[in-house]
Amino acid sequence: MSVTRREFLKGCAVGAAAASLPGMAGWEPALAAAAQPDPIYRSLMAVALETAQKLGASYADMRVCRYHVQDVSLRTQPDLRTGAVLHVPEVDESRSFGFGVRVLVKGTWGFAASPRVEKEEVARIAREAVGVAQANVALQRTAVQLAPVKPAEALWRTPYRKDPFEVSVKDKLAFLQAINEEVRKVPKVFSVVSQLRFRSEHKFLASTDGSYIEQYLQQVIPEYTATAVDRETRTRRERSYGVPAVTGGYEYIEQAQMLENARRVGEECVEHLSAPPIEPGRKDLVIMPSNLSLTIHESIGHSTELDRALGYEANFAGTSFLTPDKLGTYRVGSELVTIVGDRTLPGGLSTCGYDDEGVPTTRFHIIKDGIFVGYQTIRDQAHLVGDKESHACCYADSYDSIPFQRIPNVWLLPGPKPMTLDHLIGGVEDGVLIEGLGSWSIDQQRYNFQFGGDAFWEIKGGKKGRMISRVAYQARSDEFWQACDAIADSRFWENQGLTGDGKGQPPQTNSMSHGCAPARFRRINVLRTE
Amino acid sequence: MLLTREESKALAEKILGLAKADEVEVSIRSSQNCNSRYANNSITTAGFTSDLSVSIEVTKETKRGQVSVNELNDEALAAAVCQAEAIAELSPANPEYVEPLGPQAYPEIKGFHEETARARSAELQPAVKTVIAAAEQKKVNAYGYYDATARAQAIANRRGLFGYHRSTWASYSVTARTPDGTGSGWAEQESPRLSAIQAAAVGDTAIRKAVESREPRRLEPGNYTVILEPAALAEMLLFMSFSMGARAADEGRSFLSKRGGGNLLGEKVFGENVTLASDPFDPRVPGLPWSSGGFFFGGGGDWLPTEKMVWVENGVVKNLVYNRFWAKKSERKPVPFPSNWLMAGGTAKLDDLIASTERGLLVTRFWYIRFLQPQTLQLTGLTRDGLFYIEKGKVVHPAMNFRFNESVVKLLNSIEAMTPAVPVGNYVLPAVKVREFHFSSLSDAV
Repeated sequence: MSVTRREFLKGCAVGAAAASLPGMAGWEPALAAAAQPDPIYRSLMAVALETAQKLGASYADMRVCRYHVQDVSLRTQPDLRTGAVLHVPEVDESRSFGFGVRVLVKGTWGFAASPRVEKEEVARIAREAVGVAQANVALQRTAVQLAPVKPAEALWRTPYRKDPFEVSVKDKLAFLQAINEEVRKVPKVFSVVSQLRFRSEHKFLASTDGSYIEQYLQQVIPEYTATAVDRETRTRRERSYGVPAVTGGYEYIEQAQMLENARRVGEECVEHLSAPPIEPGRKDLVIMPSNLSLTIHESIGHSTELDRALGYEANFAGTSFLTPDKLGTYRVGSELVTIVGDRTLPGGLSTCGYDDEGVPTTRFHIIKDGIFVGYQTIRDQAHLVGDKESHACCYADSYDSIPFQRIPNVWLLPGPKPMTLDHLIGGVEDGVLIEGLGSWSIDQQRYNFQFGGDAFWEIKGGKKGRMISRVAYQARSDEFWQACDAIADSRFWENQGLTGDGKGQPPQTNSMSHGCAPARFRRINVLRTE
Repeated sequence: MLLTREESKALAEKILGLAKADEVEVSIRSSQNCNSRYANNSITTAGFTSDLSVSIEVTKETKRGQVSVNELNDEALAAAVCQAEAIAELSPANPEYVEPLGPQAYPEIKGFHEETARARSAELQPAVKTVIAAAEQKKVNAYGYYDATARAQAIANRRGLFGYHRSTWASYSVTARTPDGTGSGWAEQESPRLSAIQAAAVGDTAIRKAVESREPRRLEPGNYTVILEPAALAEMLLFMSFSMGARAADEGRSFLSKRGGGNLLGEKVFGENVTLASDPFDPRVPGLPWSSGGFFFGGGGDWLPTEKMVWVENGVVKNLVYNRFWAKKSERKPVPFPSNWLMAGGTAKLDDLIASTERGLLVTRFWYIRFLQPQTLQLTGLTRDGLFYIEKGKVVHPAMNFRFNESVVKLLNSIEAMTPAVPVGNYVLPAVKVREFHFSSLSDAV
C-alpha cells in the first residue's frame, strides 16, 4: 500500500492549514503513487518476527539499517614560522550496516542488535531480545500499551535532485578551498575551517502489526568558520556562515551561496575581534532564525517531550517544567507564539514518511496562541495523556540503538501581520541583534537558559549599529516566550537544521529543524562574558 | 562478539594485503553492551547489542583517504580499501602529514574483567531490584541506568605495528525524586569490574539526597564558598582537558596562550595545592595502551605507547598535549592526550570541609556545562540533584539550584581544602572547598 501526500495531510492535526504554512511552497510529493518497498529483507525479517512470537512476544519489530556518512573538510591557516598558507584536507567515509529487534513480552520491552545480517544471527538476536524482556518482566509495574497503527507497506525517500555521494571528492575540496581562500583575503583572518557532511540512512522496518516500510533519508550539512586571533591581548573570535542543514541533495550546496558570503564572513570575523564588549542589563533582543532555532530547541523542543515529562529521562537529560497537568491551560508564550511539531516539513532534518515504529509522520500543535497544547509522543506513551494516536516521534540513531521518543522538526509560525526585520529593529530603543550559534546551556527541567551567539550588533534608537562582543542572554523559558511582542512575517521565515542533539541511556544523537522568522523579545537579561 | 587477538590480527593482515597504497593503517573495534534502564520504580528499556567497526586509512605520497566499515566479507573489505585509495588519489597532499610509526612495545594494561563481559540482563536485574525496593521503602521514585560494556580494539599498519587490547566498564547511576517533585538526588559508580558496583550504596546515596533536598529554599545569586563533590569537580575539569593542547596555545587560541605569543608551559597558572596527573595503569581507571585522543586536536590517534604523565605540579603547567605533527614542528617529544585525570587530594574529610565553612554551599553535581570564553576557561552550567546551604559549619537546609558563570582557572586558584581523591567516572578526584564561586542566576528546576 502506498501513501500519497493527501493521505499524509489528512492525518495532520493541522492539515487544513498546511498548504499555507511556510516551507510548503513548491513541495514535491515525496511518495510516488506506485512506490513499493524493495522486498529484499522481507523473508529475513519474518524470521525475527516469527521467532519472537513463538517465544511469547506479543509484539515485535525489526529494523535493518544501512548508514553512510561522508565528511569532507579543509582547514586553511598559515604556518606560524614561515607564514606559508597551508590547506589541510580531511576526507572520511563511514558505513555501517546491521539490524535491531525489539520485542514486547508480557508488557515488557526487550531489545537486541547485531551487525551480522544473516538468517541464523537474526533468529539468535530475536531470542536474545526475548531473553532481555523476560529477565525484566518482574521489574515492570504496568504493562506497556501501544497506540494502534494502521499497517503500511510503503517506500519513502528524501526528495533530492543531485546525489551528494556521487559528486567527486576532488570537486568538493576545490569548492572548500575557494571558500577558504576568499575568507582569508580579509587581512587578520587566521584560519578557516570549512566542511561538507552528507549522511544517509537506508532503513527497512517490519513489524508484527503487518508493516513493511523502506525509507531512504539523506542529510546535507554544510558549514564554515573563520577565526581571528590577537596574540597581544590573547583574544580569539570566530564567525561562521550558518548554512542551515537540510534533508536533500547536493543541489542545496550549489544554491547556498557559501562562496558569495565568504568575504563578508571574513570581514565580520575581524570586526568581531575588536568589537567592544556589551554593557550588561535588561535589553530588547531581535533574534535571527540562526540563533532562535536553538532557543526553540532547548526551551520548547525538550520541554514538550512526553518521556521527559513522565520522568523517563530523569536520570540523564532531565524532566520538564511542562507537566501533564499543564496540558491545554498553561501559558508558555505570548499570543503570537504558535509552535508545531512536524516531521512532514520539506527539508526538515527529521522529515520522513514514517517514524521508527511505523507511524505515518504528521504535523501537530505544541503551543497554540501561547498555550501549551500538545506533547511529542510515541506509541507506548500516547495513551498516558489521553491521545489515541502517536505523534510519530520515534527514532533510533543506529541499528543497535533502542528506538525512543526524539524531538521532531519543531517550528515557530511566522507573525500573522506584515512585519519586516527593519520593523522589528525600528521598535527597539536599546537592544541587541543576535545571529548564529554560540554557547548554550539550560537546566534539567528547561526553566533557566543562557545562550550566546555567533555575532551581535547594538540596536540604538531603532537602528542597527556597531558590532559588539561577549554577549549572553539569560531567561526563564516561559517568561522569555511571553516577552515576545513581534515576529517577522512568512517572507523572513527560515528552516534551521540542528544536528547532534543528545538524549537517552545509552546516549543517542538526533537531528531536526527549527524553522522561524526573526522575532523580538522585550527586557531580557543580557550578560557580559568574561 | 568481541574479536580475539588472533582474529583481529588475521583481519588486519587481510586488509593490509588488499591495499596497494604506500602506507596503510587499520583500526578494529568490536564491542558488546548490556543495559537496563528504569524510571518511576519500573523498568523502561533494556538491551543487549554488539557492534563492530573497521577503519582503514591509506596514504599515497602524503595524500590520505579514510573509510570505516562494519561488514567483514571479502567483497566489502576490498571495496572499502579501494574507496580509501580512491579518496587518497583525489585528495591534495596533506602538509601536516607525519609518517606512520614502526613496531611499538605497548604496555600491558589490565582493564578486562570476564565477569563484566559476561553480564546479561539477568546479572543486572538484582541491582535494579535492590534500588527500586529501597526507593519504595522510602516512598520516593527511582530512575536509573545500569550498563556493562566489553570492548576489543586492535591497531596495525604496514610497517609492522600491531596492538591489541580488551577492556570492560560497568556503570550504574541512580536518580531519586520525591513524589512532590521538590527533592532530587543522584549518585553514580563506575568500575571495570561489575562486582565492584555497590548498587545498594549508590541507591542509598541518591535516595538520601532526594529526601534531604526536599523543599529547597531560595538564596540570592552571588559569590559563595562552595564544596564541590568529586562529580561536580570532574564535570568542570573535563572542559579543561579539552584545552590542554600545545598547538591551540601556541597559535593564541587557548587559555594557555602566552600574551604576545608562545604558551604557558612551565609557568604557574594554578594554585600551589593543584597537582594533576594521568595514569593509564591505575586499575581503578585504566586507559588504553596507546594514545587515541588526537580527536580534540585535529588528527586521529597517534598510537604512541601511553605512560604516566604529570600535567600540573603545585600549580605549574608541566606538560601540554603535543600530537606527533606539532611535536615535530616544535622539536619536542610527542605527548598524548590524557586517558584519565588524577588530582592529588588532601587529608580532610567531607565533614571537615563543611565544619570549616562559615557560609557556603555543598554541590552534588553540575549539569549542562558549556564554554562561555575558551580563552579564560569561563564556563556556565547549573547545580543539580542536591544543593545544600551551609551556615556556621553545618548543613542547615537545601537550596534552590543556581546557574554558575565561573572560570576553571579561577577555581583552581581558589581551593582552600581537599578530601583524599576517589574514583569518579574515569577520573580520580577529591572533593574541594573553593572560595568566591560565582552563581549568576536562580533556577526553578529540581
